[in-house]
Amino acid sequence: MADGDDLPRMDFPLDIPCLKAGAMEGLHPFLAAPEHQAKLGFPGELLPDWKERALEKMAELAERNRAFQVYLDACVKCGACTDKCHYFLGTGDPKNMPVARQDLLRSVYRRYFTFAGKYFPKLVGARDLTEDVLHEWYSYYHQCSECRRCSVFCPYGIDTAEITMAAREIMDSVGMGQKYSNEIIGKVKDIGNNLGLNPKALRATLEDLEEDLEDETGISVRLPLDEKGADIMLITPSADFFAEPHIDGLLGYAKVFHEAGVSWTLSSYASEAANFGLFIGSYENMREIALRIRKAAQDLGVKRIVFGECGHAWRVAYSFLNTLAGPFDFLDQKYPIPQHILEFTWGEIQKGTLRFDKSKNDHIRLTFHDSCNVARASRMGDEPGGQFEIPRNVIRAVCNNYFDMDRDTTHESTLCCGGGGGLLTDDLMELRKKGASPRMAALQQVSEDHGVTHMAAICAICKTQFSKVMPAFGYEMDSVLSVHQLVSSAIVLTGQETGDDEEGADPRGETA
Amino acid sequence: MLSASFAILFYAATAILVVGVAMKVVRYARVPAPLKIPTTPAPVTRAGVILRMFREVVFFESLYRSNKWIWLFGWTFHMGLWLVLIRHIRYFTYDVWWWVALAQPWGTYAGFAMLAGLLGLWARRFLVERIRYISNPSDHLMLALLVAIAGSGLMMRFVARPDIMSVKAFMLGLLRFRIEDLPAQPILLVHLGLVAVLMIVFPISKLLHAPGVFFSPSRNQIDNPRERRHLAPWAARLEG
Amino acid sequence: MSYQVNGHTVEHDEEGYITNLADWNKELALEIARTENIEMDDERWEVVNFLRDYYEEYQIAPAVRVLIKAIKKSMGPEKGNNKYMYELFPYGPAKQACKIAGLPKPTGCV
Repeated sequence: MADGDDLPRMDFPLDIPCLKAGAMEGLHPFLAAPEHQAKLGFPGELLPDWKERALEKMAELAERNRAFQVYLDACVKCGACTDKCHYFLGTGDPKNMPVARQDLLRSVYRRYFTFAGKYFPKLVGARDLTEDVLHEWYSYYHQCSECRRCSVFCPYGIDTAEITMAAREIMDSVGMGQKYSNEIIGKVKDIGNNLGLNPKALRATLEDLEEDLEDETGISVRLPLDEKGADIMLITPSADFFAEPHIDGLLGYAKVFHEAGVSWTLSSYASEAANFGLFIGSYENMREIALRIRKAAQDLGVKRIVFGECGHAWRVAYSFLNTLAGPFDFLDQKYPIPQHILEFTWGEIQKGTLRFDKSKNDHIRLTFHDSCNVARASRMGDEPGGQFEIPRNVIRAVCNNYFDMDRDTTHESTLCCGGGGGLLTDDLMELRKKGASPRMAALQQVSEDHGVTHMAAICAICKTQFSKVMPAFGYEMDSVLSVHQLVSSAIVLTGQETGDDEEGADPRGETA
Repeated sequence: MLSASFAILFYAATAILVVGVAMKVVRYARVPAPLKIPTTPAPVTRAGVILRMFREVVFFESLYRSNKWIWLFGWTFHMGLWLVLIRHIRYFTYDVWWWVALAQPWGTYAGFAMLAGLLGLWARRFLVERIRYISNPSDHLMLALLVAIAGSGLMMRFVARPDIMSVKAFMLGLLRFRIEDLPAQPILLVHLGLVAVLMIVFPISKLLHAPGVFFSPSRNQIDNPRERRHLAPWAARLEG
Repeated sequence: MSYQVNGHTVEHDEEGYITNLADWNKELALEIARTENIEMDDERWEVVNFLRDYYEEYQIAPAVRVLIKAIKKSMGPEKGNNKYMYELFPYGPAKQACKIAGLPKPTGCV
């Protein structure tokens, strides 16, 4: 397997490559095994009558989803999106241009469902659905991270993510699922999280982390699990129990809750914020996973639901949870349902309940990566754009040296990390590295201009992706940080001895 | 004979345009959006969404952010088209409305602007590698059609002016289901014929972007999913 | 897709993780390590053995942090750190060491 040795060296993050037709042709992530497929209600392998079924599914989607219908019709091929996809920028493969990616499916839709395509296929670029086409779909609809950057720039708001999700749903329905996403969804259904972390192991991990917290701070900071009657249930990506730097973020949430004096708990039944049902475009699977959160909240009798740092999970939580698993009339209506941990932390900072020693983060010169799903598919706070301001507000409250990357690569124009949308798998490593190159080029710019050493993120996928690909771009793997890791480093708990506080400065003076 | 053929052509073209677009619009309106998917940051009120849509269809806001050349050519073409269309209303009303008269002196410039925009867009289909790649024959034909319509229109203004009062009489006649004489002037006939073709292909082509944009969930949804539960009818049935 | 050890055939998945965990033995671990270009030494065996013990208890591999803490206890702080783990297993202690230890691959956003 090529390992991304031919990474593009970009002088500017948005340099437009020359077309390299076929550059990523044939990339084919592992297929889901029959047992993975079965748990999701999909056929185990490619059906003999797959073509008819695929077309039936396409017709059904056009009846079920307005976006799919409108987006297939409305594109005028103006070309505005052609240079907006990070996978196109990183690979030069023309089929990674958003419109070209949509056309892989649109061409088939036209052939079978439109007058022009039925009678003048050549004229409008319509084509028959063949096995080659199906494999082309499998390849290129697994080179889209559903990040929605193209939809920002399309004059009609055409969102390639919707087309990718539809294509994956069609492929799943004929027995051609992707192993990475579908195996994981099965684990959530069986065990409650993507990792397959059972309650006993989860409890042991949390106890271990409680020990670490006490060793570090001298204070007993708890990570409660399945505690009935707690006010807040925290739903966080299971990577927060396992991976670096995710765990440091989890410790940060715990410290914030501790200091805010609220009662909270994790749930072993809903021990996962991620919802890969989104990635495969399956409303039913997404709903089933979301309902676990509702059930956990009811069983534990909590009043509030707070989500940890996870990009697509926040999209599903903020934008869809009420739809999929609502109404949440049994929760305390005084608080947003659900609430993001950053909304919570920022609220506490504004209330003045948290004390920080910002100098603890002085060895870091920081930038922030807006995660795609948070930036373009959700909100925090009451105002549009809160999803950009609140993370930055929190960062500035805990860190002295903060610098934004080029504005064309942040906020709603942010570049995907390259690993989102169900692509965070080793068999797509080459694509992941190439897809990360525009973001890395933007990072290298602020490193040169401002000496930036670290990048913070609020998404489990972004964090894992960056820690894996950053070494290929000359950064240490621990250059990516959780935002609540910075909070964790700077926060001064009540009663905590700040032993190395040489200047004896009053940490309270450091709060924003 | 000629007049009758064109009359029939226009009745047919109008019927296809109206019925075809209406069917599509009904379909867009009927198919539910199962989830809240506005591209954020998005307005949190209905008024905000109307404003967003207004900026989108009047100023092409997203396109402007995306690509200045496409915006320049596309916006010039569309705004020119609007002025030219307004200018043409005079052929369908007995008394010329005041605001149509107002557009009269600008109409000619608008015709050139329209043509310039189209040629710019067409040039990009040849010159820009990425856009060349995504262009189908129909994309070129659509531009050819529009260029021919604009070109023939301008020729009637500057090269071979038809008997405009007869044209108006013919059009007013059509509105009253009477067939008046249409001057047999070649450029005029080409112009009218191509317009009829445009009307006919409208509901089966990418021209559906015009009604489509108003139904685009990423642009027309309010960002209020936490406050209001959004549920599609078919999804409600899952709750059983 | 299989490993050949002492005349036995052991099935593995696309990525080299054995499909039946009961098939594991030390010879197989050496064979998997060989295909990964890893020379098994005492330190690496220590990691592999810890992973297996932990899995035995919890049916899942430990968090990297838990692993590192355990290694720190047994091998000292100069070896109980993330960097050293990646020196031992360049493709990551969680994934590569699990593969050699005959454990399933950790899935999810990790």
